[in-house]
Amino acid sequence: MPTDQKGKGTPWRDPTRVSSVRSFALMTLGALIGLFLAGYSLFTARGVSTLSVPAEDVALVNQQPISRSDYLILLQTLYGVDLSHATREQRQKVLNDMIREELFVQRGKELDLASSDPEVRSALVNAVELEISQDAITAEPTEATLRDYYTTHPDRYVSEGIMNVRDWVFPAGAPGDMAAALQALKSAVIPPETLARLHAHESGKTQGDEFYFAAKIHLGDQLFASARDLSDGAVSAPIQLSDGVHVLYMVANKRPVPFDFDKARPQVLNDYRSHAIDQLKAGDESFLRKRANVRVADDLR
Amino acid sequence: MRLALIFILAFLIGAAVFANGSYVERKLLRADPDGVPADPALRRFALRRGQPAFVAHCAACHGVLGKGDPAKGVPNLTDSDWLYGTGRVAEIEQIIEYGIRSRNSRAWSLAIMPAYARPHPNPADRNIRPLSPGEISDLIEFLFRQQGRAADAAAASRGAALYRGDAGCYDCHSLDAKGDSAIGAPNLADAITLYGDGSRDALYQSIAYGRQGVCPAWIKKLGAADIREIAVYVYSISHPGEMSNAN
Repeated sequence: MPTDQKGKGTPWRDPTRVSSVRSFALMTLGALIGLFLAGYSLFTARGVSTLSVPAEDVALVNQQPISRSDYLILLQTLYGVDLSHATREQRQKVLNDMIREELFVQRGKELDLASSDPEVRSALVNAVELEISQDAITAEPTEATLRDYYTTHPDRYVSEGIMNVRDWVFPAGAPGDMAAALQALKSAVIPPETLARLHAHESGKTQGDEFYFAAKIHLGDQLFASARDLSDGAVSAPIQLSDGVHVLYMVANKRPVPFDFDKARPQVLNDYRSHAIDQLKAGDESFLRKRANVRVADDLR
Repeated sequence: MRLALIFILAFLIGAAVFANGSYVERKLLRADPDGVPADPALRRFALRRGQPAFVAHCAACHGVLGKGDPAKGVPNLTDSDWLYGTGRVAEIEQIIEYGIRSRNSRAWSLAIMPAYARPHPNPADRNIRPLSPGEISDLIEFLFRQQGRAADAAAASRGAALYRGDAGCYDCHSLDAKGDSAIGAPNLADAITLYGDGSRDALYQSIAYGRQGVCPAWIKKLGAADIREIAVYVYSISHPGEMSNAN
């Protein structure tokens, strides 16, 4: 192959000829590109020692970044100003506070406070749990997934039942005809003479429309169980309790109704996320246990 | 030889564009976030990259146009009604970074809407008592009255007493029902509804069964530049007049 020949045009441009000038130029260009890429990677990669503070941070403390965003939030929280309206003193104070905090955190790690301080341990456990939860929340489930969850947990997505029930109490050994009282109750208004004859009174445990859970608390389990199945206008069979014979008159009973998916969706999404968080936590704990070397004392095995 | 020169030229142009992008990105990150919309170069740069990032990460809930979905309780980002904060770029950025009830310790998660038709409306606050169906209806009438809509006067008066008293609604939504953007309590006196269509049924659903919407924290998934670019983009769709004037 021909080599450089002086005085014959510009041989470095001819690819059929060997040119030391061209070789040198290309080598230099390659070296420069390599240096540029290496330098860029070196000074922008996370976790490497660098002399310049990354644009997203306000400081590096032993190579640990202090986020610019956190700095702005703290500035706003402490002084109620944004960066452009903060005084130099305010900016400096916030920055110094953040650097101080970082230094103390790093010192805390050096002292291994997590092994001795119960508050630090508790905070770390909470922080790890929150970290796991965040991952579950960031993963947005598809509508199909939510619908599946909704159909597999139908009991969760129902309205709270509402009842309006009156509770009449008759003395245990009341004279007279209970059947007549029951008949009278069906009109929801017991004639005074019947009440007088039977020494009956309304317990006052319930007041108008009540959610099922409230009615259950007010009536007690036994009376509520009987009331729940009554239709509008129905009267229960006499129920013997320690304070007398109770008879329930159901004015109105709106039983729990399943929500359709659209109505239940916000709750389904929350429940799905809670479920995903629980699963992730369990998975993480299982993984940590598997990789850990845990030895238990003989007497506690 | 010509091909080689074209290749080298193309590479150099690419490197220059990359270096310029990197320079503007650094400038964007170092700028006061609230000042970005007023800076044409930074704004253009942020919007060009923020829009696709928004579509990739936020549109699944907020929609491609950012208009939200009241059926799912996803807020409309194109109006001027802000649940949290006042709609400044820095505040939007904070929400994207740390989320709302995202389980991040820096998230906005000071309050939830209690479920008043449950035995324990707010498990975190045992002082909040459940309400009866009648009390919930009274509150709805009060809210209708506050919004200037036709309401049962007697029920609204009972609802007002509940609102400012036993039910404790005022604690988050403030005495005049205009909400509190410091804790994400919506304004109940305007016509904008976060959940549903503002009907009695939708209000009943919110009061009886509670609300606690979530926005994930993106700080671990997105870079600082991505987050700021999305924040500027969200600001731009909620302040269209301001952005077009700036152009």
